[in-house]
Amino acid sequence: MNKQHNKAKKFGMVIDLDKCTGCGACMVACMAENNVPFKADETNKLDSITWLRVYKLTNGKSFPNADFCYLPRPCMHCEGSHGHSPCVSVCPATATDYSHETGIVSQIYTRCFGCRYCMAACPYHARYFNWWDPVWPEGMEKYLNPNVSVRMRGIVEKCSFCYHRYQLAMEKAYYEGRREIEEQEYQTACTQACPAGAIVFGDLDNPEHAVHELKKNPNAFRLLERLGTNPKVYYISSREWVRQAGDNYLRQEGKSEKN
Amino acid sequence: MKVSRRTFLSIGSFIVGGAAGTALSPLPWKLTDDLSIWTQNWPWTPMPERGEVSYVNSVCTLCPGGCGISVRKVNDRAVKIEGMKGHPVNDGGICILGLSGLQLLYGPTRIKTPLKRVGEKGQGKFKKISWDEALKEVAEKLGTLRSEGKSHTVACVSGSACGTVPQLLKRLLTVYGSPNFMSVPTMQDAYAVTLKLMHGVDACPGFDVENADFILSFGSGIIEGWGSTVRMFKANSAWQDKKIKVVQIESRMSNTAAKAAKWIPARPGSEGVLALGIAYMMLRDGLYKKEVCDSAAGFEDFRKTVSENYAPENIAAATGIEKETIESLAKEFAGAASPLAICGRGQGHTPGSQYEFMAVHALNALAGNINKAGGVFTVPDPKYIAWAEPELDETAQKGMSSPRIDGAGSETYPHAKSLLNRLPPAILSAQGECPVQALLISEANPCYTLSDTQTVKKAFAKIPFVVSFSSYMDETAQYADIILPNHAYLERLEDAPAYAAGLSKPVIGLSKPVVTPQFDTKHTGDAVIALAKALGDKVAAAFPWESYAACLEETLGDKWKSLNEKCFAVVEESIEAPLQFFKQECKPVFAEGDEKQYPFVLMPYDSIRLANGFIGNTPFLTKTVPDTVLRKNDIFVEINPKSAGGDSLSLREGSAVMLTTPKGSAKVRVHLSEEIMPGVIAIPRGLGHTAYDKYLAGKGINCNELIGPAEDSGSGFDAVWGIRAKLSSVSI
Amino acid sequence: MSKPVDHKKEVLGDGSGGFAILFFLLGLVASLIVGWVVYPKLLYSQKNQPVDFNHALHIDLVDEGCESCHFFREDGTYSGVPKLAQCIGCHEEVQGETKDEAIFVEQYVKQGREVPWLIYAKQPDCVFFSHVAHVKAGGMDCVTCHGHIGESASLKVYEENRITGYSRDIWGKNISGLKTNTWDRMKMDDCSECHEEKGVNATSVQTGKGACFVCHK
Repeated sequence: MNKQHNKAKKFGMVIDLDKCTGCGACMVACMAENNVPFKADETNKLDSITWLRVYKLTNGKSFPNADFCYLPRPCMHCEGSHGHSPCVSVCPATATDYSHETGIVSQIYTRCFGCRYCMAACPYHARYFNWWDPVWPEGMEKYLNPNVSVRMRGIVEKCSFCYHRYQLAMEKAYYEGRREIEEQEYQTACTQACPAGAIVFGDLDNPEHAVHELKKNPNAFRLLERLGTNPKVYYISSREWVRQAGDNYLRQEGKSEKN
Repeated sequence: MKVSRRTFLSIGSFIVGGAAGTALSPLPWKLTDDLSIWTQNWPWTPMPERGEVSYVNSVCTLCPGGCGISVRKVNDRAVKIEGMKGHPVNDGGICILGLSGLQLLYGPTRIKTPLKRVGEKGQGKFKKISWDEALKEVAEKLGTLRSEGKSHTVACVSGSACGTVPQLLKRLLTVYGSPNFMSVPTMQDAYAVTLKLMHGVDACPGFDVENADFILSFGSGIIEGWGSTVRMFKANSAWQDKKIKVVQIESRMSNTAAKAAKWIPARPGSEGVLALGIAYMMLRDGLYKKEVCDSAAGFEDFRKTVSENYAPENIAAATGIEKETIESLAKEFAGAASPLAICGRGQGHTPGSQYEFMAVHALNALAGNINKAGGVFTVPDPKYIAWAEPELDETAQKGMSSPRIDGAGSETYPHAKSLLNRLPPAILSAQGECPVQALLISEANPCYTLSDTQTVKKAFAKIPFVVSFSSYMDETAQYADIILPNHAYLERLEDAPAYAAGLSKPVIGLSKPVVTPQFDTKHTGDAVIALAKALGDKVAAAFPWESYAACLEETLGDKWKSLNEKCFAVVEESIEAPLQFFKQECKPVFAEGDEKQYPFVLMPYDSIRLANGFIGNTPFLTKTVPDTVLRKNDIFVEINPKSAGGDSLSLREGSAVMLTTPKGSAKVRVHLSEEIMPGVIAIPRGLGHTAYDKYLAGKGINCNELIGPAEDSGSGFDAVWGIRAKLSSVSI
Repeated sequence: MSKPVDHKKEVLGDGSGGFAILFFLLGLVASLIVGWVVYPKLLYSQKNQPVDFNHALHIDLVDEGCESCHFFREDGTYSGVPKLAQCIGCHEEVQGETKDEAIFVEQYVKQGREVPWLIYAKQPDCVFFSHVAHVKAGGMDCVTCHGHIGESASLKVYEENRITGYSRDIWGKNISGLKTNTWDRMKMDDCSECHEEKGVNATSVQTGKGACFVCHK
C-alpha cells in the first residue's frame, strides 16, 4: 500500500467586505448544506445555531455620517502556534482537532460530551451548543444531506469549511487516479452560494489559488490578530474604520480615523 | 430470619465469585462500550439516507427574476438547491430565498389535498375532499353563475399575467364571459406604463447594468432584491471592481446605500421632484443629448415645465437637498458615458407613482441612453403564446362587454392592464349583491400584500365563492371556499418568463419537476383545463389540450427542445422606441395623514432576508433576521435617536411604543439607528403573518395593516410608499 | 490441592470454608456463563436476509469480480449493495431453480420493490468511509475488510446489537473482541491500527496520528 500523504494544505478564506451585501445567502447555504436545525423562535441569538453568522458593524457616527458594514464570520480555523488553536488546546475529549494536512479544525460530534470549554476559549463565538434536540417538522427531514451527520442535544458544533466536500472531491480524484484536487473542486457551500462573489476559498499556501494573492492585499486583515490565534480567514475592506474594528484597538491607538 | 455465618459466607462468596467471573467475562467491557455508543446515536436523531447523487436543472419561480437552479438529489430526495452555472441571468449565483426553497417543498405549510371550507371565512377550517368533488363543485358554481347571466361577476387574481398558466386562466375567463382577469401589480407595471407613455410601445424595462458606468438609484434596493436579485448582486460587485460609482437616494440607509459610493438622504417621497431637479440642471447647462431630445415630441413643453418649477431653490424644501449637491449630481450623471437612472422602491414589489417613474425615465432620455449599451431597454414580450383566438358564445360576448370591476382600461385609467388595488373598494362600496360572485386566486396573497389588509379581508369575506390554487396555506387561502392545491414549484413543469430579469432581450425559462409531487396536488394548468372541460360547449372547445403538459409543449413549439435541454432561451427580439416627452400632468403621491397630528412619516422597507410577497418567509430566512428587527414576537421599527427624545416619550433602545397611523395602530419596539433620517420611522415588510406555520405566524406585524392605499392619479396603481404616523407611550 | 483447603479450614474454624469456595466457584462459573454465553445471545438479535444470495454462483458469471456489481460511481462514490435496477438485466424472469430466486423475482422484481438488504459492514452515521481511497488509491482488496463473503454460497444470519443497532460485524463475532483476521472486526481502533501502521495522514495536533476528519463526518 502506498503511503497516503497528500501535500499539506492550508485552506482559508478571503472575504471582500466591500462586496459583501449582508444578504445572508451564505448563512442559509451553510444551514442547508450542513443540516443545521431551526426552532420556532430563533431571535435569541445566543442559542441560535449559525455556523456562519453575518455581523453588522457600525462606525458609531451620527446621521448622516453613519456607515455600516457587514462581516460574515465562519470558524476562523485558527492555526495558533503550530496548530494549537484556542479550542483544540482546551478540549478534554479529543473531540476537536487540528489537521496539518488541511489546516482545518475538526469537530467530531460523537466524541464531544458538551463541556463547552472550547466555546469559552473561542474568541470569535464561532462555536454553538445544542441546547435542544434538533427537530424537523414532519416531512422536512427529507432534505437532510447524508454527507453531514445530524447533531444531537448536548454537544458543540461549528463550521467545518464544508470538510465533507473535500472528502468527496478527494474521492473523485482517487477515482480518476489523482492525488491532488483542483481549486474549484473543493469550495465551501457559502463560497459557492455568495451571489456577490465576496467569498474566495482555497489553499492559502498554493500560489495558483486566488486566496494566495488576495490575502496580500494592503487592505486585508484578520480578526483579533493580536491574540495570536493566527486565523485562516482574511477580510478585505477599503474603509479604515472597518479594518480598525477588526482588532481590539484602544480608542487613541493606531492610525487616525478618517471618514 | 437469622443469617448464619455459613449462609453469609456462602452468599458473600457467590457474589465475589460472580464479580470475579463477570470481570473475567466480556460483559462489563462490551456493555460499557455499547452504552457509550448508544448515547452517541439517539434513535430520534435523524440519519439521512445515503445514495446516488444527481442534479436536476430547473428555473426558480419564487420570484419573477428567472434564475437557473441546479438541485442536488440523493436518490429521490432533493437535498440542496444551487445556482445554475452558465445561465444568462444568474450564472451560478443564488439568493437567500432560492437557497431555502426545499423548506417550502417539504414544509408544513403545504396544502396536501383539495380542501373545502367548514368554518367561517378566514378562519382556516377545512375538510379534505377528493379532486373529483372539488372540481365538480367549482364547475357547478361557475356553471350556475353563467346560466344566471352573471358570468362577468367572476374574477381572477393571478400573481403574474405572463406565462401559460396565467394566460390559461385569462382564456378561461374570456370564453366563460368575464373581463375581470387581474394580476398583482409591481414596479414592472409602472415601468410598462412609463414606456408606453414615453415611447408608445408595449414593453418591459431592461437595464443594461453590466455596461453602465454611473448608477443613480432613486430608492431602488439594488442589493435588497430589486429586479433579478442575483444579477443585480453580481453587477454591484462588478461595479466595485471597476470603481463605478453608485449614488443612492433614500431617506434610510439601506444595504444599497451603505455599499454605494454616495448616499443622499432625501425626504421620503421627494424622489421624483429630485429627479426633475437634476433634469433642470441638465437642461439649464445644456448637459443633455440634444440630437436625441430636441426633436422628440413634447420636449419643449417638458423643458418649459421643468424650467419653471424645478429650480434647486424651489425644490430644496421638498427634498431637503442642497443646490450644490443637485448640481454636482447632474454633472456627474450627464458626464458619464453610460449613466443609468433607476427607480422602484426597495424590491419594487409595489408600483410607484407615475410621476416619479416618468421623471426618472426622463433622466435616461435626456442622457440619451434608451436602447443603448449601459442604458434602459424596451424589451418586447417574447410572444411565444400564440393560441388560436377562442370562439365566444353569446353569454361570453355579453360578459366580456361589461366593464371591468377594477376600472382598468377605462377612460379614467386608460394605461393600466389591471388594478387589483381597486378591487376591495369596488366590492365594499357596491350596493346590494356583491359585484364579485366568485373569485379564482392563483399564486397571489392579496390578503397579506395589499395595502390596508383589514379592508381587503373585509372585502374577501363578502365574496360568496373564493377558489384558491395555492400550494401553501397563506392568508388568502384561508378565505377560500375551495382550495385546489397546485404542485409546489419544484414539482411542476411550467414556463417561467423572466419578465423581471431586466436583461436587454426577453428570456424564457422552463421550470422542470425536480421531484415527483409529494402530495395529492394538481397542476393549476391541468385544473383549469379540467374546469373548462366540465363547463362544456364553447368553453371546453377553447381548451383542446389533453393536459397542461401537452398544451405547454405545443405552445413552445420549436423552442421546446432547446428549453427542455437548457431550461432557458434568449429571444432575439427588439423593438423600436421613439422618444416622446409626457404631456399628461402627473402628480407626486404624498403620505396620507395630517402633519400636526402625525409628526412622523412611516415607511416600510424591504429586506432581502424577509420574503414579503406571495411566498412566505422560510424558517431559514427567519432565522437570519437580526434581533434588531425581531425579538420573540416583537417587531422593531427604526427611528433616529434625535426623533426619539421628543415630548414625553424619551425612547430607548428596545422601548415598547404604540405606533399609530390613520389606518390603525400597533405595539412595536424601537431600534434607535443613526442610519435613518430624523422624522422617519422605518418598518420591515414581510412580518406579521397570521397564516402559514409556527415558524412564521404571529411574528411581528404586517406593515400593510398600518398603511392605506394611495391611488396614483396617472395610472390608478396603488403608489403608496408611506403614511404619516405618531408614537405614543404604551404600558407593558 | 487439599492443602489450602485445610489451611482455610483452620482459619475459619468450621466447615463454611468449603462452602465459601464452592459458592465462589458457583458464582464464578455462573457469571462466566452469563458473560460469555448468555449475554451475547441476549445482546444480538438475529435476522435473516430477505433473500438468500449466492455470491459464489454470481462471481463466476461476471467479468470484473466484486466491482461488477459493487462498483464505483463516476463521482468516486461507492454504490454499495446493488439496487434492483442492476439485477433486472438478468432476473426479469426466473432463471434458475432456487427458491430464493423465485422469491426475489416474485416479491421484488415484479413489484418494483427494492430489497431491504441488511448490511453487515454498515458503519455508523458519523463515519465517512471512502472505498475509493482504500481500493483505488490504497490498492487494498475487498477481502482485507470484508473477508471471503464473495466466495460464500449463502448469506449468514445478520446479527444486530440491541443496544447500539450496529451490525455484529463491527465488534466482531468473537465477543471478547479478539481477532485473528483483518476482517474480523471493524471498530475505530481497527481502522486506526492500519492507518498508524501505514502512516496515513498522521497530521493530528491532538494525537500525532491520523486526524479525526480523515474518517469522520
